Amino acid sequence: MPDMRFAPPNPLRIADRASGLNAVSVRSYNERLVLSLLLQSGSTTRLEIGERTGLSAQTVSVLVRSLEQEGLVAKGEAQKGRVGPPTVPIVLNAEGAFSIGISVGSHQTDVVLIDFVGTARFHATLPNPATDRSTNHSEFLQTIREAVAMLPKKARERLAGVGLALPHRAADGRDHEAYFAALQSEIEEQLGIAVFVQNDITAAASGESMFGVAKPLADYLYFYLGARLHGRLVLNHQIHNGNSTVSFDVGLAALERTLAGEGQATAPLWARDAAWPDYGAALEGWEDRLTDEMIQSLIAVSQFVEFTTVVLASRAPRDICDSICRKLSSKLPRLKAILGETGPSPKAVGAASLPFSSRFMVD
Amino acid sequence: MRTVLCYGDSNTHGQIPGGLTLDRYGFEARWPGILAQALGSDWRVIEEGLSGRTTVHDDPVEGAGKNGRTYLRPCVMSHAPLDLIIIMLGTNDLKARFHQPPSEVAMGIGCLVHDIKELAPGPRGSIPEIMVVAPPPMLDDIKNWAGIFKGGPEKSHELALQFEITADSLEVHFFDAGSVAACDPLDGFHLNQHAHQALGLALAREVEAIGWK
Repeated sequence: MPDMRFAPPNPLRIADRASGLNAVSVRSYNERLVLSLLLQSGSTTRLEIGERTGLSAQTVSVLVRSLEQEGLVAKGEAQKGRVGPPTVPIVLNAEGAFSIGISVGSHQTDVVLIDFVGTARFHATLPNPATDRSTNHSEFLQTIREAVAMLPKKARERLAGVGLALPHRAADGRDHEAYFAALQSEIEEQLGIAVFVQNDITAAASGESMFGVAKPLADYLYFYLGARLHGRLVLNHQIHNGNSTVSFDVGLAALERTLAGEGQATAPLWARDAAWPDYGAALEGWEDRLTDEMIQSLIAVSQFVEFTTVVLASRAPRDICDSICRKLSSKLPRLKAILGETGPSPKAVGAASLPFSSRFMVD
Repeated sequence: MRTVLCYGDSNTHGQIPGGLTLDRYGFEARWPGILAQALGSDWRVIEEGLSGRTTVHDDPVEGAGKNGRTYLRPCVMSHAPLDLIIIMLGTNDLKARFHQPPSEVAMGIGCLVHDIKELAPGPRGSIPEIMVVAPPPMLDDIKNWAGIFKGGPEKSHELALQFEITADSLEVHFFDAGSVAACDPLDGFHLNQHAHQALGLALAREVEAIGWK
């Protein structure tokens, strides 16, 4: 029997100098473990990776070197220790991978391009496509092309994919599933980019967990305030009830109806980056109904899980969101209500986080 | 208290570029000394650098004592338990008398790694951490050593890649000394004080990065 010790070294791994991202199929489970840790915490050390994964120091060393060569991770800034040489943390390389996220909202569609640490490099807002079945999706394709063109040529090979955030609106006449399936296959066919689809609220919560204020939070309740109010429960960084279609009609659409009934202007509700006029008592009443609904959900969930933080994401102006958070905190004093920070469009950024989680993280 | 063994050739011994075999930098100036100072009092650094040491070859000219494989066994056993073994060898394998391509030199490094794993000289009979360090490539002009190392400078540029492939497939740590230090033009293949300094500090960071509880 030949002595395998003296066979040629296994060339499968790493020390090649290929540029671009490894194909999905060869991304090993262990590499995904390391990238999951980094996407969750932003910065780590080889010691911590070893402790969290149970892998030996030498295996971790090979893995990290491989990811460094691939350009996905980099050495962070050296931290001077009390004794001995400085510790050099391992961080994600912002330029290591890019992703495009598309979210179709009730009034418009957002497209973002984000880098590996979640910074938006490109953002465009498009009117929603006509519901006409014969419409092709050329406006999306064009915008995706523009987003890709933003990237320097070398970085284009590092596009992890396109994430589509899919709304489930029961009341809406359109067949979103079919619409998005068509869009998915069209993008994959025409642009040759992998497409990943998820419910839009779940995507927004994932984006908040990966890149936003919820990064350090293992357990929290996530509210998305859009036309309606949606909730998601995140336990141990995992989002539960991912495709729930339950939502509450206490969102911007409800406010719009109230305002319209009073003859007040409603256009600012849907305008981007616009402050709202003084809506007076109508706004106050709506905020109360909204926060009451949120508190009912919170109380219901707290029968089963103890949690201390609520994250609110919305396209509503910041002062409105702050006021909602304050109301929540005053009604439930032990609760911390914080604002999401995955602007410019939480759902689109969340959609863009999908290709990262699908390609780089463990399930 | 942790212990690291620095197993190498003249560039671990601290031979002065352009000097004679007996010309050696003082301990504080050699990279193991720099390493010791940077790691601090938690670490004991053992130097095992011999001029002319090969990975696995008895040297037909310089003698069997230059064989890095036969000496490794008693050496490691006498210093056990060892937390870490740093191996920086390979340059001498490029002497014309051995006719070795870079991949074969890497095989020699692989042998040493296998031998260490078999000996398991780590704490409580475990396999210690092993770090393969690729030596900085030789310069094109190696003065009156050109004949002895005929074809060597060219091959030396390939050692880092071949060593890394070996380190990856055997799952051990790897560092490319050429990324922080270069050989001195006085003889084209020895490290001067600046290179020792840079290498010692870089290796201290690498040692730290392994992560020790």
